[in-house]
Amino acid sequence: MDEKEANSQRLKAAIHYTVGRLCQQAAADHEREFSRQAIAALAEITFRQCDIFATDLEAFARHAKRQTVTADDVKLLARRSAALSNYIQQKSEELAQNNQEQKERRKKNAAKRKTKSSTENEADMAMEP
Amino acid sequence: PASHVLPKSYVMSVFKHFAKTKVASDVYPVINEILQKYFDRLADDLEAYSAHAKRKTIEIEDVELLMRRQGFVTDSAPVNVLIEKFLPLEYRKLLIPVATSGNKVIPNQRR
Repeated sequence: MDEKEANSQRLKAAIHYTVGRLCQQAAADHEREFSRQAIAALAEITFRQCDIFATDLEAFARHAKRQTVTADDVKLLARRSAALSNYIQQKSEELAQNNQEQKERRKKNAAKRKTKSSTENEADMAMEP
Repeated sequence: PASHVLPKSYVMSVFKHFAKTKVASDVYPVINEILQKYFDRLADDLEAYSAHAKRKTIEIEDVELLMRRQGFVTDSAPVNVLIEKFLPLEYRKLLIPVATSGNKVIPNQRR
């Protein structure tokens, strides 16, 4: 029980730090100051919102008979707000594209390694950048 | 849009039941408008939830999930408690499994 408490305190501290950084950025952009209390309040709100998000995401994943939370669940979570929904849709497409590219690169690399090991041609090695 | 979402007498009797004070009859147009929006949003949400589970039919799970997100259903207040509390006996019989004589469970258990 005590360990759980300590863990949640650590998480809160981490969130507080990140929220502080984001607030600093926003303050610089808009030439406004955040009071320390405002940042603390935002951190607390973020912490509790995470709780809500987690239970909702879990319910959505279970609803789709999955054990793993996926991007679809996150999209469903943000469906109500059109702007947020669009933003998340865009981000998820970017992520998917990045993943695709990485996969292809890995495949290419794997293929190269295979040909290298099978032929063991030194001229081929020299061709490599 | 339709002028009446639900019959006026029904809406007002339900509203008066839950309002712990006197209700003027001229609130009906406002309630009706709110109900219209409520049902529009309800349909939209249920559609999204059933699509999420790769179904084309809205099932009990979708409604339960919706009520969970609305905060009516929680782990400490499961959907059966709400059914017991707010629905008349004939609907409770349809929704909550009851063992009848002959060792049959009504309604047919799914899953």
